[in-house]
Amino acid sequence: MRPRVQAAALLVLLWLPWQAFSQAIPYTRPVETAPQENTIGGGYKTPAVQKPLPRNYWFQVFDVVLLAAAMGVSVWLVIRRRSRRWLVGLAIFSLAYFGFYREGCVCPIGSIQNVTVALTDPRYSIPIVVVATFFLPLFVALFFGRAFCGGVCALGAIQEMVVLKPVEVPRRIDRALGWLRYIYLLLAIFFALKPAIGRDFIICRFDPFVGLFRKTGPPHMLMIGGAFLVAGMFIGRPYCRYLCPYGVLLNWCSRLARHAVSITPDRELDCGLCNQACPYGAIVHMRAVRQDCLYCARCYASCPNERARAKRPLVAITRGTK
Amino acid sequence: MSQDLTRRAAVAALAGGAGFLIQKAHGQVVWQVNASRCLNSRLGEVGVEACNLCTSSCVVGLSAVRAVNEHSKCGRCNICPAYFNIASAVDEKGLPSEKLCPRDAITRKPIGRQDPEDPSNNFYEYSIDEDKCDGCGRCVMKCKEPLGLGSITLRVRYDKCLNCNRCAISTACPKDALEQIPLPEALKSGEARTG
Repeated sequence: MRPRVQAAALLVLLWLPWQAFSQAIPYTRPVETAPQENTIGGGYKTPAVQKPLPRNYWFQVFDVVLLAAAMGVSVWLVIRRRSRRWLVGLAIFSLAYFGFYREGCVCPIGSIQNVTVALTDPRYSIPIVVVATFFLPLFVALFFGRAFCGGVCALGAIQEMVVLKPVEVPRRIDRALGWLRYIYLLLAIFFALKPAIGRDFIICRFDPFVGLFRKTGPPHMLMIGGAFLVAGMFIGRPYCRYLCPYGVLLNWCSRLARHAVSITPDRELDCGLCNQACPYGAIVHMRAVRQDCLYCARCYASCPNERARAKRPLVAITRGTK
Repeated sequence: MSQDLTRRAAVAALAGGAGFLIQKAHGQVVWQVNASRCLNSRLGEVGVEACNLCTSSCVVGLSAVRAVNEHSKCGRCNICPAYFNIASAVDEKGLPSEKLCPRDAITRKPIGRQDPEDPSNNFYEYSIDEDKCDGCGRCVMKCKEPLGLGSITLRVRYDKCLNCNRCAISTACPKDALEQIPLPEALKSGEARTG
C-alpha cells in the first residue's frame, strides 16, 4: 500500500509545476487606468450599473396601513358582527399577504428586539415602519383586546388553519407552559441588549413558520415549523399560547381593554357550548378571559343564540350586539 | 374608573415610546457589502481562494449578494483575469481556453473602435448577468491589484435581499464586511469604490 501512495504523491508533485509552467501564459495588464468613452470611441456609451431598489417605501407604508385596517376589520367582525366565517376569510387573507407574500416580515413579534435595540443603542437605526408595526397592535389591544392575534397575525393564522381536534390542556400544565413566553421575552431582550457584535435576533432566527412562508430555510427550523403545525392540530395554537413573546405584551395591554370578546350575560343559556368550542382555554367559568382570548370567534359560532340572531338582517345584528 | 386611568397612562406611555423612536428612526435601512473590508475585493488579499460565504450563507435561494461590474472603472482588458481562467491553456486565438465563472454569468463583447489587425488592441465590455450570478466572488478576487483595477465588487441586490434582522452573511463574514446603513447612504456608496 505504502509505495503506491508514495508513487502517486511523486507523480502529483512532478505534474503540478509542469501544469503551471507549460500552460499558464504570462499576463500583463494592458491598461493602467479605466478607459472612458472618448478613449474607447466608436460612439460607445457606458451602460449604467444595475441598482435594484428595495421595496418602494410607500409600499412599506401601505403594509402598515393594511395592518391597521386588518385589525380594524378584525375588531368589527368579532365584536360587532360576531362572525366566525368572515374572520376565517380575514385570516386566510392575512396568511396569504403578510405570510406568504411578504414572507413574514416585518412582524410585531420580531420587532420587539429591534425596538429594544433602538431604545438602548444610539447608533442603531430603526425604520419607522418597524416602529409602527410594533406599536399599532398594542394600541389596539389597549382598547379592544388581542384583535391582532385573531385574523391578522400570519403566525396565528397558519396555526388557526390547522386546528383539527383540540384537546383541553389541563389548567395547571397550561399555566406552567405559559411561563415559557415570559422566559422567551426575557431572553429576547437579553440578546437584544448585548453589544452589536454579540447581538442575536433570536425571535426571528427561531421563528418556526417563517421558513414555511419563504419556502426555504434551515432544515431543522422547517422541521420544527412542521412539528408545531402537527401539534397545533390537537393543541390549539401552541406557539401563540406558550411561546409568543409579543403575546405577553398583548396580554398585559388587553387586560385594560374596554371592549373585548364577551359572553353576553343577558342572553346566556348557560349551555357551556362556547366553553367547549374554545380551543385556547380562554373561557373560564363561562366568561371570556380577555387577556387569553385570541379573537377566533368560535364561541359566537357555537352559540345557539348567536346563530339564531345571525339569520336576522345585518342592521339588526349590529344594533343588537351593542 | 381606575381601569380607565390605567389605560390612559398606558396609552400615554406607548405613545411616548413610539414618538421617541420615530424621531430617531431612519426611513429605510439596508444591508450592504463594505468593499474595503470584503475579503474578495480588499487589496492585499491575493493568491488565496475566493471567499464563498456570501453564496453559502444567504437565506435566499440564489444569494442576494451579486458581483457587479462598475463599467466606468473597468479596464476593458483583452485578457480579463476575472473573465478568463488565466492559468488555463491558450487556444488558437491566443486567449485562455477556460472561463473563470463557474456559472458562466459574465459576457464579453468588443466595443468602440475595432482594430482589424490586432484584436488584442480592442476594448471589451464585461457584463455580469445578475440572474446567473450567485456572488461566489471568484471574479471579484481576480479583478484587483496587481492584475485588475477592482471594478468588480460584491453588492447586495436590495430587491432580492429580505433585510433580515441578523443577516446570515453578516454573521458568517470573517471580515465583518456587511453593514446595515440607511438606504441613501448605501446608494451613494455604490458609486464610489472605497479603499
